[in-house]
Amino acid sequence: MEKQLSNKFYEAMKKLEPRYPNKKALILPALHEAQKEWGWLPKEVLAEIGEYIGVHAAQIREVASFYTMYNLNPVGKNHLRICTNVACCLRGADDLMSYAERKLGIKCGETTSDGMFTLSEEECLGACTTAPAMMANDDYVENLDINSLNAYIEKVKNER
Amino acid sequence: MAKCTIDGKEVEFTPGENLIKVAKRAGVDIPVFCYHPGLTVVAQCRMCYVEVEKMPKLQTACSTNAAEGMVVKTTSEAVKKGREGTMEFLLLNHPLDCPICDKAGECDLQDNSFGSGSAYMRHSEERRTYVDVDMGDVIQKNMNRCIHCTRCIRFGDEIAGIHEMVAIKRGNNIDITTIDGKQLQTEYAGNYSDICPTGSLTLKDFRFKKRAWMLKKTDTVCEGCSKGCNMEIQHEGNAIYRCVPRENLEINKYWMCDEGRFNYHYTQDPARILNPVQKVGAAWSKITWDQGLSALKSETNAVNTLFLLGTDLTLEEMSAIRETVTRNHKNAKLLSFGTHGVETSAQDKSQDQILKMKSKTSNLMGAEKLGIEALQGKAKADVVVVFRGGRAQLPAIESKKTIGVGVFLEKEVTSFDVILPGLAFTEKDGTVINHQGKEQRLKRAVLPREKCKAIPEVLMLLLNQKTREVLA
Ligand code: SF4
Ligand code: SF4
Ligand code: FES
Repeated sequence: MEKQLSNKFYEAMKKLEPRYPNKKALILPALHEAQKEWGWLPKEVLAEIGEYIGVHAAQIREVASFYTMYNLNPVGKNHLRICTNVACCLRGADDLMSYAERKLGIKCGETTSDGMFTLSEEECLGACTTAPAMMANDDYVENLDINSLNAYIEKVKNER
Repeated sequence: MAKCTIDGKEVEFTPGENLIKVAKRAGVDIPVFCYHPGLTVVAQCRMCYVEVEKMPKLQTACSTNAAEGMVVKTTSEAVKKGREGTMEFLLLNHPLDCPICDKAGECDLQDNSFGSGSAYMRHSEERRTYVDVDMGDVIQKNMNRCIHCTRCIRFGDEIAGIHEMVAIKRGNNIDITTIDGKQLQTEYAGNYSDICPTGSLTLKDFRFKKRAWMLKKTDTVCEGCSKGCNMEIQHEGNAIYRCVPRENLEINKYWMCDEGRFNYHYTQDPARILNPVQKVGAAWSKITWDQGLSALKSETNAVNTLFLLGTDLTLEEMSAIRETVTRNHKNAKLLSFGTHGVETSAQDKSQDQILKMKSKTSNLMGAEKLGIEALQGKAKADVVVVFRGGRAQLPAIESKKTIGVGVFLEKEVTSFDVILPGLAFTEKDGTVINHQGKEQRLKRAVLPREKCKAIPEVLMLLLNQKTREVLA
C-alpha cells in the first residue's frame, strides 16, 4: 500500500517513542499528528498507523472513534464544537447550537458547501466555569452568548 | 490452604482465583455478563457487584481476587440495589423482544434480569435502534440487543487470533460491529453466538428454527477431526438442530470450530443412503437386508478381498470388524483410511494452532492402537469392502466389485455396487481416541433412520444366516 503519512510524521513519532513504555501508548499522539497532516483521519491513514504501532487497524479505529477530537470524516476549515453537556446546557448551549445552525445554514454534524465551517456537538470541554463554551479548531471560545458567537463567526469569515 | 467467607460459608481458594470462581464452589452464583472464564477480565458490565467487608464501595467480583480472611456478601441490600441499577442501565435501550429472540430461554440477560432486576421500568425515552448486520455465513448481528460486554471482541482477539469485532464510538452511541462492516473471517465464528450473553450475535444456521427450551441435549464428542472437542447435540423429534461445545479444559476449553459445529448436517442430508441398495445400470435400486448381506457374503469369499475401515469408526466397531475379518477371511487384508495425506498419527499436526487438527477423522489414534495399518495410495483388489462412519475421505478404488457398509451420500459412491446403510456418529454409542490419546465416549442423540443398522449388528447377521432370515 502506498504510504499516506509523510516522513515528518515518522520523524515526530521517532522522537516521541522513548517517552512511552511501549509503542501502543503512541496511538493517541500518532492520531493527533496524522490529523494535523490530513485534517481528518481516512481509513488508509488509520491502517497505516496500525501497521506502524503493530496493532490491528481495528484497534486504531476503536480508539479514534472513542474520542471526539479525532475526525473520522473530512471537516471544514473552521471546526466549531459547541459543548452541550450539563453546565453549558444550563447556560443556553442549545440556543447557541440552533443559532449556529441557522446562521451557517447547516445542521449539527454537517459542513458548509464552501468548506469553511463544520458544526459539531461536544460532550464536555471541561470548561464548565466559563460555560457555555465551544472549541474552534484548537482554541477555546468561552462565556459565549448569541452576540459573541455571531461576532466570532463573522470574524472568521472575514479572515479568509 | 487460604480461606475466605462468602455469604457466611467458609471456602478454600488458591491465590489468584477471583470471587466468581470461589463463590461458585460455595454454591453461590454471581450474575455476570462481561466475565467469561476463557477470556481476560475487563470488569465492564458491573453486574457482578458484591460487598466486601472493609471495602468502602461495592466491588466487581470478576476483578476481585479472593484474599485470606476476606468476608464477602452477595445478597445484602447494597448489592441488590447495585445490581438492580446495573440491570436498569443495561435495559435502557434493549428492545425486550424475547418472544422473537433466539436466545430466549438460555439468555444471561433474561436470567439476570429475572434474578436481579426490577420488574418496573422508569425509562420512557426513545430507544436507539440499529439495522441488523450480516456478518457472513455464520453470524447475523442484532445491535439493538447488545449490552457492550465486549466478550465477542475479546474472543476474536484472544482465542480466534483475529481482532475482527470492534467497539466504535462510545457511550450511548457505541456500536459493536466488524471493522467497516466486513464479514467475519475466523473459522470459529459460531463461538461468537455461544458466548454472547444476549441475542445479539445470532447463529444463522439456527435462527428461528427452534425455541431453546424445546431442545433435548446429548453430551457427545465431535467427529470433525482428531481433536475430539466435547460437544452437545441439541435435538428434538429425532432431528438435530444444532451442536454447541461443552467445556473440557484439557481438550477444547469452551470452544469448537465451525467445521465441527456444522458437520452434523450430512447425517440429515436427503442424499444420504438409508436403505440397502444395489447398482442396476447407473441407478440405485432398493434391496432387502437379506439380499444385501448375501451379496456381501458371496463376494467376500473371493480370493482377493480388501477390507477398508474408516478411522471415523468407533473402537468397538473397529474391533468387531477386525475380529470378523481375521476369523472368517484369513487371506483378506484389512487397512484403514481417513484423511488424504494424514495416514499416521505422526503426520497428524495442529492445523491452525487453535483447535483444528490435520486428521479429519476422530479415531485415527484408535485404529493405530488396534494395530490396523493404513492404506497407502490406491485401494486395489478384486473385491473391496468399505466400512465407514460417514466422514473418512474415500480413497481411489480399483476393483471389480465395491461394497460399502456405513454412511454414504449418493454422490460419493457412484462407483460402488452395493451399499448397506449404517449409523452416523449422532446415532450410536462408542469410544474414540483423540490425538492426545484420550478415550472419549460418543453418545446416541437420535435414533437410526429408516433401514440403517449398526456395524456390529451387520457383522452378526452376516455370520448368522438363521437370525438374518427372521430379522430381514
Ligand atoms: S454482541 Fe454480544 S458478546 Fe458482543 S458486546 Fe454485544 S452483547 Fe457482548
Ligand atoms: S477442532 Fe476438530 S474436534 Fe474440534 S470442533 Fe473442530 S472439527 Fe470438531
Ligand atoms: S462480570 Fe464483573 S463487571 Fe462484568
